[in-house]
Amino acid sequence: MLHPREPRRSISRRDFLRRSVGAAAAFPSAAAILAACSKPGTTGGATGSTSGERVLARPDNPVTLAMTRDPIAADTPLEAGPLRVYNWDAYMYKKVLKAFEDEFDVSIEVTTFNNMEEGIQKLVAGQVQADVFFPTTDYVARLAERDMLQPLNHELIPNLEANYWPTFSDPGPWYDREWRYTVPYVIYTTGVSYRRDRIPDSDADAAGYDLFFDPRVRDAVSYYDSYRDALGMMLLRNGHTDANTDDAAAIEQAKDDILQMINENGARLTINGTYARLPEGEFTVSQAWSGDIVGAKWYLPRDTGEDVLGYWYPADNRGLIGNDTITIPSAAESPRLAHEFLNFFLDEHWSFVNFSQWNGYQPPLNSIVPERLVDEGVVPESLSRAVLGEENFTMGYIQGELSADADALWLDAWSEIQAGG
Amino acid sequence: MASGAEDAPARSGRAGADGSRTSGAWFPKSYWPSFTLPASIWLAVFFVLPFYVVLSVAFGTVDPLFRTPLPVYQPWWWSFATFSETLQKFVGGDPIYLDPLIRTILYVVAASAICLVVGYAVAYYTARHAGRYRGLILVLLISPFWISYLMRIYSWQSLLQPDGYINDIAGIFGVVPIDWLAGKPVTVILGLVYGYIPFMILPLFGFLDRIDVSVLEAGRDLGAGALETFRRITLPLSKPGILAGVVIVSLPMFGDYYTNNLLGSQRTSMYGNLIDNAVGQAGQQPEAGSLVLILIAIVMIPMLYYLHSTRRATEAS
Amino acid sequence: MSDVTLARESRIDVPATSVSAWRRNPWRKPRFLQAITAGYLIWSIAPVVIAIVFSFNSGRSRSTWQGFSFRWWYQDPFDSLWNDLALRSAMFQTLRLSLLTVLLAVPLGTAFAIGIDRWRGRPASTANFFMLFSFVIPEIILGTSLFLLFTNLLRNAVSLGTTAQVIGLVTFQLSYPVIIVRARLLSIGPEYEDAAMDLGAPPLQALRRVLLPLLGPAILASAALVFADSVDNFVTVRYLSGQAPTEPLSVKIYSAARSSPTPAVNAAATVMLVTTLVVIVLAWLAYRRITTIRGEEPSAAGLAEL
Repeated sequence: MLHPREPRRSISRRDFLRRSVGAAAAFPSAAAILAACSKPGTTGGATGSTSGERVLARPDNPVTLAMTRDPIAADTPLEAGPLRVYNWDAYMYKKVLKAFEDEFDVSIEVTTFNNMEEGIQKLVAGQVQADVFFPTTDYVARLAERDMLQPLNHELIPNLEANYWPTFSDPGPWYDREWRYTVPYVIYTTGVSYRRDRIPDSDADAAGYDLFFDPRVRDAVSYYDSYRDALGMMLLRNGHTDANTDDAAAIEQAKDDILQMINENGARLTINGTYARLPEGEFTVSQAWSGDIVGAKWYLPRDTGEDVLGYWYPADNRGLIGNDTITIPSAAESPRLAHEFLNFFLDEHWSFVNFSQWNGYQPPLNSIVPERLVDEGVVPESLSRAVLGEENFTMGYIQGELSADADALWLDAWSEIQAGG
Repeated sequence: MASGAEDAPARSGRAGADGSRTSGAWFPKSYWPSFTLPASIWLAVFFVLPFYVVLSVAFGTVDPLFRTPLPVYQPWWWSFATFSETLQKFVGGDPIYLDPLIRTILYVVAASAICLVVGYAVAYYTARHAGRYRGLILVLLISPFWISYLMRIYSWQSLLQPDGYINDIAGIFGVVPIDWLAGKPVTVILGLVYGYIPFMILPLFGFLDRIDVSVLEAGRDLGAGALETFRRITLPLSKPGILAGVVIVSLPMFGDYYTNNLLGSQRTSMYGNLIDNAVGQAGQQPEAGSLVLILIAIVMIPMLYYLHSTRRATEAS
Repeated sequence: MSDVTLARESRIDVPATSVSAWRRNPWRKPRFLQAITAGYLIWSIAPVVIAIVFSFNSGRSRSTWQGFSFRWWYQDPFDSLWNDLALRSAMFQTLRLSLLTVLLAVPLGTAFAIGIDRWRGRPASTANFFMLFSFVIPEIILGTSLFLLFTNLLRNAVSLGTTAQVIGLVTFQLSYPVIIVRARLLSIGPEYEDAAMDLGAPPLQALRRVLLPLLGPAILASAALVFADSVDNFVTVRYLSGQAPTEPLSVKIYSAARSSPTPAVNAAATVMLVTTLVVIVLAWLAYRRITTIRGEEPSAAGLAEL
């Protein structure tokens, strides 16, 4: 009843991938290219990695990435710029960028990507040169292993240790112990945002993830155009709590549910559904990173109060959670300036300005007392669930790097979703 | 054939059998070909060579870590696994790409038909009845060319918002607000029409404008009614314009993805979306290459038909 | 000439059937055609006018009018057109790409058209076939192919950005000057040039002094067309854009529409519209000058060519 095409799967992409990688190894030319790409000696990035099998970083299995070179010296002179930043769209407050430009008398060029895969592709292919890059945590190890990132000189980033939550300071996060290649940018949970003027809180609390399937919100549903978050949340809704699963049946089910949501409830895959189009009134329910809904007030029409914005996240805090990072690619032409940029964005003042005046994404700053954000009016009462405390990280589900096989399953499901029903 | 001075008015047979101009006896044989050389080299490097790379990517493999493509340039090492897997998605037991293909064909046919009917009416009126407003109407007809297509679709996105003007206007007539942007085929089709119809109107206008009024008057003098004159004279004479218009309008639509991305949803995904998604997705560039190859095969027939008929028309003129 | 033949054919079997007034008098204004045309023009132009008007909206919305202001033009300290460096550089990138494309595509295409008009061998028709092929092929095919070319085979030679974009645009636009100039060549015929050479002018001089001036209007028309179409281009330049400053306005509009739209985008598009209009008007004036000097009637068809 749900879907016209119940029985499916002919060739699984997993089989195919295994086959083609095997085939590639058999082809001298392809093998030569492979060999040229992966320099021997840099592949043991993740601790305890054995030949062939990569060890994937997880909160319960943190990794210390190998240092393949020395960081730049602390007395490296400041470059003249421009500083080239490669980031998601609408992820940094222009006022903060302007402040950096003024302080260091350089110009900043921001190149944007729409999703992580696009960002990685262009960076790896050398088609975008960047001094600063904002990868998600699941790509950090891979980038470091490929020598795409340069180790950081912590002397140049004093704000890191001074200002950040212990979870994020010592010994460093699970994906990069000792902060060898990354500094944290912002933290977020992934939940459900909704218009409180159309859906009462009690209904949202009762429905949770099922809100996406509510016929009352037909044609006004937005879901992220990002395969890990989209499928990850649907897996959770279906009771599957491993956000990094390789369970083909579970992924298949999540995919079918998303297709049902699209075809029967008119859901749309967007990237701006939460922060722009929900406040503008186009959407009633939208999958939301907590920072997006906090930043959504800047898109509210003038006569609409902030309290129309609501955010649901599981009451037991067992939902998707994560943080983004800032890194310096190894090909950076202005590495010293890049270090200053990292330090600037970790600065208590500017980090807070970036969060509170525009971006909406909370930095894990010691100086921010989560309980007080609502009282201080930084976050409206109706969005109190969008505020993160340090303890959230011990309860939420974290999206780490997928194994190649699992990733193929996820991507296969995703291209079917994008093709529509 | 006849020599230069005489055949000029007839504009045919200007070239000798060996390809050199008859009146240009002192030309080195390579004189005229050399004119075509720069553009030919350009096309060879930037039009033909890319297709070889598409083949190499489609029949190649991907980097195991970042899933970036690793093209294989030696045909004897090509692997057709991805290609046949992609093909399976259209014709196999689980044709997940069949729906977007069928949708694309339906949307393109519907949009081209609307373009033709509306475009013909507008072009006909402008060519025949516009009178002193003709210049003004022409300028207005051409004006969309000067405004970015993206900008025009972008403004529709605003107008079609739930609180946009279209719903406001509909509200006057008591229509409840419609979520036009929630993956409605009608929105996508009209978006396509909006974007491409100027390309239909201009060639039609060109051909309709060239029809000699005296021919029509002759037809009428001989007792043909207006509809009859239209059917027997105007329509046949504008047929090349119709063909050119339909081809120029429908072929790009097959590759359109942005109209749907801005005005539709995954429910209205088209073939272009498949390609665009695959190009931007990790590990899927070989599939993107395969999709491009399949699209080439699909549009090849109308393309060749068009090229064939234009060549025939050129030869005839 | 073929018109006459056709008319003759129709004369034979056109039956006199009409009865209605409209049929008896087709030269009368057909009201419904008029209505369709008027409706079409409103439909096609109103959204653009509304988009321009909304660049003056004081709110962030592109769909709800919230009062008049210059906020998105110059008042907003970060997001207005004047203060948003990215948006301004996108406009300049659009202009830069369009100019470079005109400078490359028009000479290449004109030379090709002249050569192919005079040289009728098999290689010529093959080259011509590919030329027309590039004219009708869906743009996404060309865009992705060039993207794969520059990110794989030529990744060390050409990086994504201005060079790649210009190459893509020229490849896509090359056929316009070829088609327009060839049409003109067919209509002027070879006699002027032949006369010049009969009078002893060497071929190159005959070409430069006689043929090129005659081709002037066509070259101008194709330059204007290539320029306008390059400004309009989105698919090719998007796939081939690299670093932020190489993103032209159409790409910016697309990403804005999908992420954080503000009326500043409308303002930028308005400026581009005015710029294109100025270029077109200048080209039109030049066109008229050339054609009136030569005593030709500046025709509506010439305008259509533009």
